Amino acid sequence: MGGGEEAAKRQRWMEEAFRMAKEALGNGEVPVGCLMVYNNTVLGQGRNEVNETKNATRHAEMVAVDQVLAWCRQNCKNPVEVFEQTVLYVTVEPCIMCAGALRLLKIPLVVYGCQNERFGGCGSVLNIAADDLLGTGTSFECIAGYRAEEAVEMLKTFYKQENPNAPKSKARKKDSDES
Amino acid sequence: MKEHMPPSQEDEGSPAEPKCKRRRSSESCSWDILPVLSEEESQRITLLQAYAAPVLSKKETSRLVREVSAVHSLKSLQHLKRVRACKDRGSPHPLEMLLCLALAKEKGHVPSLSELLPEGQVNSCGLGQPFLVLVPSCPPLTRPQFQEASAHWPTSFHENKEVTKALTGQQFSREEKARMQRYMEQAIEVAQQGAERGNEAVGAVFVDPATEEVLAMGHDCRKSNNPLLHATMVCIDLVAHRQGGGAYNFDSYPSCSFVASVKGNSGTGAADLFDDAGSSVLPYICTGYDLYITREPCIMCAMALVHSRIQRVFYGTPSPDGALGTRYKIHTQKDLNHHFQVFRGILEEQCQQLREKWH
Repeated sequence: MGGGEEAAKRQRWMEEAFRMAKEALGNGEVPVGCLMVYNNTVLGQGRNEVNETKNATRHAEMVAVDQVLAWCRQNCKNPVEVFEQTVLYVTVEPCIMCAGALRLLKIPLVVYGCQNERFGGCGSVLNIAADDLLGTGTSFECIAGYRAEEAVEMLKTFYKQENPNAPKSKARKKDSDES
Repeated sequence: MKEHMPPSQEDEGSPAEPKCKRRRSSESCSWDILPVLSEEESQRITLLQAYAAPVLSKKETSRLVREVSAVHSLKSLQHLKRVRACKDRGSPHPLEMLLCLALAKEKGHVPSLSELLPEGQVNSCGLGQPFLVLVPSCPPLTRPQFQEASAHWPTSFHENKEVTKALTGQQFSREEKARMQRYMEQAIEVAQQGAERGNEAVGAVFVDPATEEVLAMGHDCRKSNNPLLHATMVCIDLVAHRQGGGAYNFDSYPSCSFVASVKGNSGTGAADLFDDAGSSVLPYICTGYDLYITREPCIMCAMALVHSRIQRVFYGTPSPDGALGTRYKIHTQKDLNHHFQVFRGILEEQCQQLREKWH
């Protein structure tokens, strides 16, 4: 791997992922942005679209996957082969669901910013990325920590303004019931 | 004032009395419904070694409990009773008392009372020779665990009645089971329709249990060139469509359908599902809903159900990498912000046949 050049590219892609995350924040969505890169080309980019679609599974990664699939259709490429050589750049550790999806697609490498303490599927809550699951695609590598503080700050900003769409926390209710 | 009514009748039936009337629910149901419990609830109890001693003089019991507890508080073992009636009826002493945990290195050799109870703090007069016992290390969570634990040393038990009912197969009435069967039959039917078009034979049905209404049904759509369109993901999106959202187009799969939502009639929790405009529904689309699915969801689908705030999942047959019981128990996963109930075994045989037929 050509070290310097590769690093500079990676930086540019992560920058773009952060731009997507900021766009999500501006739209009242959880600030996560991502890019899917194949052969030095961006085939898909996504940001969280849960509120927009009323579908709680529309995370940035899932949105980007659909773009890659559309590109494959347009360019008569086999998605299986494309995903096997695609790198995901994402501002936050993929959640358990997305980690499962990335395994099923056999994406080999994920570069991400901060840990996802609430839902993380690459070590924080579970390690779907590395677990031994013979029937669920392949395991994948992770490179973590890119601009992590900035990614955390964005999440904090989002959760501070409190998602008006989220149902009231059950945990909190329980606490106040105990007396 | 209703809330001040005494809990009178509740106490009448002794909890130790097992209900022998095992209702053999409707003859047409050849399947059993099994709750998929958390790791903690389903595991066998683990045991620790401890020292106990006979109480030779019953009159001394309360003093001994006080003094021994002050020295050995057994803080992490609050579920253990300190004193038990002697197991051996022929024994000259009626009671036995738990003193303290045994250290692993002291294997074989049982220390004397003076070694276990510091003189000056405990007057061991009234206690007999210490002996080793096995005690349960954690509080029992289910009745089977309680029975196993109590066989070693008496424990307290805060019974979760729902779980007990589920374990004895009494949680659901015959009518409910008949309804469950109908929903699963629909899931099987839609799975077959999907399989006829080259998809994996998996079907799913979303139900609002408050209204008993089928909201959406769908099958695996991986043949549509999207390897992530498992039946659960399809159904979650169909519910989103129903609420004016959605991300995919299922026009080429007419069996994947939803019932249009009637404004102001969305079943459970209608008030907080609608926004200020009173029309669009919020994204936690499956709050209060049940999912019937022919086989156990994978990790992606199971977590999608957490994100969607599902209430209960019923599946027919387990999957090798399944995430609601087999490999993970996402529905009881600590640290996640939403948990839900899972039951397996609904029309298990038919669901298994479905899988074999289309393999």
